Amino acid sequence: MITSRGLHVTYRWRQEPVLKGVDGTFDSKHLILGPNGSGKTTFFRAICGLTNTTSGEIVIDGRNVENLYATTGVISANFQEVYTLLAANVYDLIILYTDLSKADRNLAFDIIKDMGLELDFLKKSKLNELSAGQQKIVCTALALAMKAKHILLDEPFEQLDPAKKSRMIKLLTSYQGAILVNTHETWLLKNLPEWTVFFMFEGLLYGPVSVKELLKAEISLKEEPKALLRVKVADKTISILKGHGAGTLLTSLENLDKIYELAEGTA
Amino acid sequence: MTKYLEMNVKSLLTNPYLIFWSILFIEFWVFMWVFVFGSGIPTGEQEVRSYMATAYGNLLMLSLSGACVTIGNSVLYASKSIRYVTKYTRLSPSRFLLENLLSSLVALLAISAIMFASVLAAFYSKFNLFITPVNPAGLAASLVLSTLLIYALSLFLNLLIINLKAPKSANFISFLPLIFGFISYSALWIDFKAAVYVSPFNCITSICYYTASGQIPPAGNFFAPSGQTLVDVNWALISLVAWTTILIVIDVLLLRKMRGVGIDEIRIA
Repeated sequence: MITSRGLHVTYRWRQEPVLKGVDGTFDSKHLILGPNGSGKTTFFRAICGLTNTTSGEIVIDGRNVENLYATTGVISANFQEVYTLLAANVYDLIILYTDLSKADRNLAFDIIKDMGLELDFLKKSKLNELSAGQQKIVCTALALAMKAKHILLDEPFEQLDPAKKSRMIKLLTSYQGAILVNTHETWLLKNLPEWTVFFMFEGLLYGPVSVKELLKAEISLKEEPKALLRVKVADKTISILKGHGAGTLLTSLENLDKIYELAEGTA
Repeated sequence: MTKYLEMNVKSLLTNPYLIFWSILFIEFWVFMWVFVFGSGIPTGEQEVRSYMATAYGNLLMLSLSGACVTIGNSVLYASKSIRYVTKYTRLSPSRFLLENLLSSLVALLAISAIMFASVLAAFYSKFNLFITPVNPAGLAASLVLSTLLIYALSLFLNLLIINLKAPKSANFISFLPLIFGFISYSALWIDFKAAVYVSPFNCITSICYYTASGQIPPAGNFFAPSGQTLVDVNWALISLVAWTTILIVIDVLLLRKMRGVGIDEIRIA
């Protein structure tokens, strides 16, 4: 179980904090939905201990993340920046990381091949020479092959074509372990009905709410007393409530960046 | 040991920056030392031996300083990955340091051996003398010590950049070893006197000179006929070991503390 308590992150002194007191518990399969720049990736970095926190703490299976060293099988992530230990070709990087984390190398190669990447191509290419979508596939395959108890996937569907998105969804739903996926795309909801959702807006986390409840949820620009969630966006309170035909369907937004257009009345 | 050790050796030995700045660039200076600057020296075996020891000590120090920049940069650019693998793979911070150190030592010793072979060959070609070191075991040991110091220093400087979150200073700070190397190189014309013991680079030059030629090294002004301050090699050795030990201890502490710097942050800076 991953627990975040009062997490604050500020990148530079005297700058607006990126995370403003994030509390949450994550122990199964969750989506973290939020627009670009809401702090989702920073939150994942903080969970991994890859960024300085101003206050608060992250506890993973009862241990503060600051005290975790050389602990395999607890967490894996698909950040490209953590797979650059050597300036080697992608094939060798996979060999290296699966060796270091005692991961299932064949699973990594199977996922990569299934996603349409040839191993010969990987032997000739460095990670930074791949397209953004190819990089995402390789890093996500490595994260999944580590078979960690908790997997953090940062925008795993970004830059993938529809067929690959569909294959990725199958991989995630069949994975035996906790997964946190952060994304700004709401189309995913209908494909992951058993998952729960947290929302992240402007450095604050809201939720959880089950996907089933959100599939017909609407967005209202009023402070509704019976709302599933009330969130602060651009200094306005927005309510996410069970559908009654009066508001904008959450799933019709395509992605959560559009919530700002709604809040500002430009949609 | 993990695959990291073997793959880092391969990565370093095929690094084009390392090959150019630590081998090819210095080979040019080997040529200059032997065939241009060396044209006026007496051709007796003892004189040639002293001159060769001076050349090897100084050029090796410059070559290792250049390698220091490359090794340091490889750590800087991989800092986020280092943080991640030391937390969530079997490569703990101390194990990472050990494997990174061993792989760097292999690369640095390979450079030292290439430098030695080329100096030997160039001197043979010019003076028709095959001059082997007076104390080969001592020279080998001093090379290991020198490479350890260079490694510890380059890691220290780059971990400092990462921990201080100062990617804007990365270019300047990572080139400091090369700057220190050139300052030390000026001892060819300036008598450093007791300052030799404070500068680990001058200690490297002195110890290599001593083990290669068997003569007590001067603290500077190498080409003056007489009157230079002589170096106490024991104190130079103590200084080198002390610098290396202190830097490695600080490296371990900084490695555990660091969060890494993103590649984009370094590029934008």
